[in-house]
Amino acid sequence: MRWRHPVFVCLISALALVPAAGKAAGVSVRDAWIRETPPGMTVMAGYMELRNNTSRPQVLVAASSSGFESVMIHRTIVRNGMAGMVHLSQIELAPNASLIFAPGGNHLMLMNPEQTLRAGDAVVIKLEFRGGLVLPVAFEVRK
Amino acid sequence: MHEISLKFSIMVTTLVLAAMLAAAWLADIDREYDSRARLLPDQVMTLFSDPKPLTAFALTDDRNRVFDLESLKGKWSFLFFGFTHCPDVCPTTLAELARARDNIAKNTVGAEDIQVVFISVDPNRDTASKLRQYVDYFDPTFVGVTGDNAQIGNLAGQLGATYQVAITPGTENYPVYHSTAVFLVDPRARYHAVFTPPHDAEAISKRFKVMRELEEAT
Repeated sequence: MRWRHPVFVCLISALALVPAAGKAAGVSVRDAWIRETPPGMTVMAGYMELRNNTSRPQVLVAASSSGFESVMIHRTIVRNGMAGMVHLSQIELAPNASLIFAPGGNHLMLMNPEQTLRAGDAVVIKLEFRGGLVLPVAFEVRK
Repeated sequence: MHEISLKFSIMVTTLVLAAMLAAAWLADIDREYDSRARLLPDQVMTLFSDPKPLTAFALTDDRNRVFDLESLKGKWSFLFFGFTHCPDVCPTTLAELARARDNIAKNTVGAEDIQVVFISVDPNRDTASKLRQYVDYFDPTFVGVTGDNAQIGNLAGQLGATYQVAITPGTENYPVYHSTAVFLVDPRARYHAVFTPPHDAEAISKRFKVMRELEEAT
């Protein structure tokens, strides 16, 4: 069962449209992608642009995916010239503002993919917000 | 009236002379520093006016060969300290360095005399074969290097690189902290310049081009 199978790609693309079009959902997601890793590597990072379309703060409290053993919200921090990662139990989106997950900053830490992911593949990650909102988002694997 | 005009002309002459001297002095400074000044001050690269010669160290490369001071001679070396279980900073940096190397290779001088060296500060998990597989993905010309902690510390210390490996017994997932800078060592094995993040391939290759031209001109 390969995610790059055309049927899956279509399904995933359809899912990707859900949050993109879902302004009613309160939070929209753009440019969701995962960096392809060298062969044999089991730790990956996911990036995206989250947009809070409401006038209230929204809080991302968890993320999960059947494609990975675990998904965590992480942030790369540089202290005394050294980079390291901190685990965030949640992250708040200010009202009517964007929050960027990008290299060198916030990212989803993706552990142990169920299968080898190559550029062009797609994986759905569910983003869970306080209050019960769950957004399934298709992340595209890119080189 | 005559006195005022004399005083005035002396004053004017003095000012003119002072201005001429200042101009000549500035022009001289300019000639001396113009090319270097083109590179400084800079958010991307800090170029040292007095490159520091590195001293002996002994590491091992991704084909189990010795990697020591001699391995740095005759080439410009871009050194980056990291580890393969690093999902964000390391792949981002190595991907930019691969693009920077491509840019340099397209230049007339080419990239024959440059090497990109990824130094793993996590020898516990990063074996030679893992390192080979890892760096090969970004660019087959990249070299993966590691060694015992004392020798990694030896080279890191000479470059002012810092790192910390928080090995936790019983878990494969322990945190590793490391410098984000890219260190440039010249063909005489001297610490020549440092690139500070965020790393950008275009910015790195442009500065490297100017700097190499400068070095060849002197």
